[in-house]
Amino acid sequence: MARPFKRRDFLRFATLAAAAPIFEVKQLHGIDFILQNSPTPQKYLIETMPGGVALFDYNNDGLLDIFFVNGGKIANTLHVPENFERANPRYWNRLYRQNRDGSFTDVTEAAGLARAGNGNYGMGVAVGDYDNDGYPDLYVTSYGKNVLYHNNGDGTFTDVTAKAGVRGGGWSVSAGFFDYNNDGHLDLFVTRYMDWDADRNKICGGDWHTYCPPAAFPATTCLLYRNRGDGTFEDVSERSGITEKKERALGVAFADYDDDGFTDIFVSNDGMQQYLFHNNGDGTFRECALEAGAALTSDGKGLSGMGAVFQDYDNDGRADVIVTVLPRELYGLYHNDGAGAFSYQSLETGLGALTSGSSGWGVGLEDFDNDGWKDLFVAQSHVLDNVEQIDASLRYKELPLLALNRKGRFERADSGLTTPVAARGAAFGDINNDGWMDVIITTLGGPPVLLLNRGGGGNHWLSITLRGTHSNRDGYGARVNVNGQTRFATSGGSYICANDKRLHFGLGSMEKAAVEILWPSGTKQVLKDVRADQFVEIREPEHS
Amino acid sequence: MIQLLLYVWLAGQSATSDAMQHLLAGLDARKKHQVELEIAEFGKATELDPSMADAFANLGAAYMEKHDYSSAIGPLKRALDLSPDLPVAHQLLGYALLSLGYAAEAIPHLERVGAQDALGIAQIQTGQLDEAVVNFRGALAKRPNDPDLLYYLGRSAGLLSKNAIDTLLAIAPDSARAHQALAENYFVLRQMPQAEREYKEALRLRPDLPGVHLELGQVYANSALWPEAEQEFAAGTKLQPGNAEATYRLGSALLQQGKVREARQELERSDSLKPEMPETLYSLGKAASLAGDTAAAEKAWVRVIELEKETSLAAQAHFGLAGLYRKQGKIAEAQQQMREFQRLQGAIGPPRSE
Repeated sequence: MARPFKRRDFLRFATLAAAAPIFEVKQLHGIDFILQNSPTPQKYLIETMPGGVALFDYNNDGLLDIFFVNGGKIANTLHVPENFERANPRYWNRLYRQNRDGSFTDVTEAAGLARAGNGNYGMGVAVGDYDNDGYPDLYVTSYGKNVLYHNNGDGTFTDVTAKAGVRGGGWSVSAGFFDYNNDGHLDLFVTRYMDWDADRNKICGGDWHTYCPPAAFPATTCLLYRNRGDGTFEDVSERSGITEKKERALGVAFADYDDDGFTDIFVSNDGMQQYLFHNNGDGTFRECALEAGAALTSDGKGLSGMGAVFQDYDNDGRADVIVTVLPRELYGLYHNDGAGAFSYQSLETGLGALTSGSSGWGVGLEDFDNDGWKDLFVAQSHVLDNVEQIDASLRYKELPLLALNRKGRFERADSGLTTPVAARGAAFGDINNDGWMDVIITTLGGPPVLLLNRGGGGNHWLSITLRGTHSNRDGYGARVNVNGQTRFATSGGSYICANDKRLHFGLGSMEKAAVEILWPSGTKQVLKDVRADQFVEIREPEHS
Repeated sequence: MIQLLLYVWLAGQSATSDAMQHLLAGLDARKKHQVELEIAEFGKATELDPSMADAFANLGAAYMEKHDYSSAIGPLKRALDLSPDLPVAHQLLGYALLSLGYAAEAIPHLERVGAQDALGIAQIQTGQLDEAVVNFRGALAKRPNDPDLLYYLGRSAGLLSKNAIDTLLAIAPDSARAHQALAENYFVLRQMPQAEREYKEALRLRPDLPGVHLELGQVYANSALWPEAEQEFAAGTKLQPGNAEATYRLGSALLQQGKVREARQELERSDSLKPEMPETLYSLGKAASLAGDTAAAEKAWVRVIELEKETSLAAQAHFGLAGLYRKQGKIAEAQQQMREFQRLQGAIGPPRSE
């Protein structure tokens, strides 16, 4: 006999009818990684800054694998030279291979990635095929020295840092591969935060000890390495003009914002103006954020810049910038007005109202609902683990921000995560190859959180893997337009993370796509009537 | 000054006795800054002529110079016994007693000579706060930039305020005003949840209490809770449509949420209620700029610069104009404004973050 329809049932259906969360929090079978940041009463600033995550297919089996950067063990009183016990498995970085059934297997040791060096407290990761051999390589940043792992193509990696000449030093944070001189070889940019070591640590705050603000320590410079094409790199930081300005750099993102054919660099700086390095096309850069209108808020105030994304949010074909910051500021949205000029539009786009009480780290502009507009996701958490004691209106652990893009205006949506976390890194990719973009976030002292896109809704999509020939094999720096939407090919951006390098486009109701690619080599390629809902690899024409 | 007064006063005295010789020797020692000799000479003068009021007064003054207030009190009191109208003795005795913490005893002497500054300090110590405020105001009228006087006026007024609030909390702890007072205290201490709770209780008891919505709105604004702040500021302007500050804050809260049209309306209204307020004009310029009305934005920001000149708000206005001119393709003007912005940043430091 049919059960009578009760009020409870109505409420259930009413709830279902309301917008369901885009993501489902998914258990990562086989992944037991815990990000060991080792907080101490000494409040060493490095403790609150890790750790990165990369989504990449290291064995080219078509499935995204996951690499996590771990922090390290911090003694309660730390002295130079620091030892972070990275030989202890608890503090290893970890590589997890995705299996066909969606589970993961820890292959860290077998891959040769087990030991990160005892003096290195891990921060972030960049992914790129720097030697164009078809296998993605890893660059891991640290407080200490950075490590370049060459992917041998047989499931193993080799530390080639010394040979390549990219050890860095100091406190590196985010990094990214890009081809600044369009020679077909991926170069490397590394942000560095400040001139700090354990012996020069300070404890700030009054009654409550806190992590110091960045201004408590001297600024430093970023690093630019030119790929010579023979497996080695040249440090061109000074010659290129990158070191002309001191920074407190955390995030970095790449795009050709002025359509001159050369990839430019946006650097998010903490507690000061943001930097935009214009690529002059002759191997040098000129920092021009202030004159371009991408340095400060509309009130002329600096930002606590942490993560950054450099993509086109309003489908006008130009790369815009979003910078994540601390509460009481608004996440900075710099709209690219064309002709090399930006305007601060955090208020007009609705982003300001969504972000003034939050702290943002990892950030991505991805079309999560495949409607043809890139949405915004931000991993959030305050920098101070005791912020509630200092300001009761703030929270250390936060929910992430998911803001759907409604034709250029952002509206808050339910991410599906209901438990606040101390999030830092966020990487974006289609982990289960279903055509819907997923997110993985790292959390201080905790396990990663996978937000798997529920999909549905009938919208179509297209995922493009670029295969450069004259250009770098990854196609980083290419400008790809699909049905009027533009993406700048990169695995960089966010904060300390590397994203799935495949370019994802939501197509809405369109079942076919027109694809236009401007390769870093200058080659233009057009594909018409590309069927929707598929993964395609597009090879750069040998002859332009 | 004390020395000068004594010289003037002594000029009219006859100098015929031995005591007078010691008195003059003491004054000579004072000129040479020989305090111990002063004390010895004035002391001998008082011994030789125990009725010589000026000798006692000078002996007290010498001890005062030595900061030996305890020793000064006896001779000064004796001088006044002998000559009750001796103004210098009253003044010095008042200072000596006050220095040793005998504020109540000092007050009649200080009143006698109209020493408003010291009198005010004594009155703070005796709890005569109303009188202290009056005396500090009087003293400040003569020495408007005296840091000590400004401090003591602030302190006495603050204590007066605290006393009134303490009384309020004691006699009417459940009143709306008591909750408002507590809320204000929490706000100053940056304890926003407690401030919010007390303001809400005040409003529950007296929903039409002027100013409380404005203050509660500022609690929310301080926590970047702009929709809540907007609601309170709107309630405040409804209660007090003529309150320019509430209207300005409502406009700002709307602006923070990107509600440009509504923000502009409120800011324009605030500007009409209280014209030429730089903060209002700056926000008005920002709202106009966001609305695409570059002429209005330019006008407002130029006026801010005229009013403010070298402040951080002027720097922000220069920055706003630079962006506006850049968008209009007026590169030279944009660069000029940016130079001014950078010059002011160098002079007054970069504008603080939100």
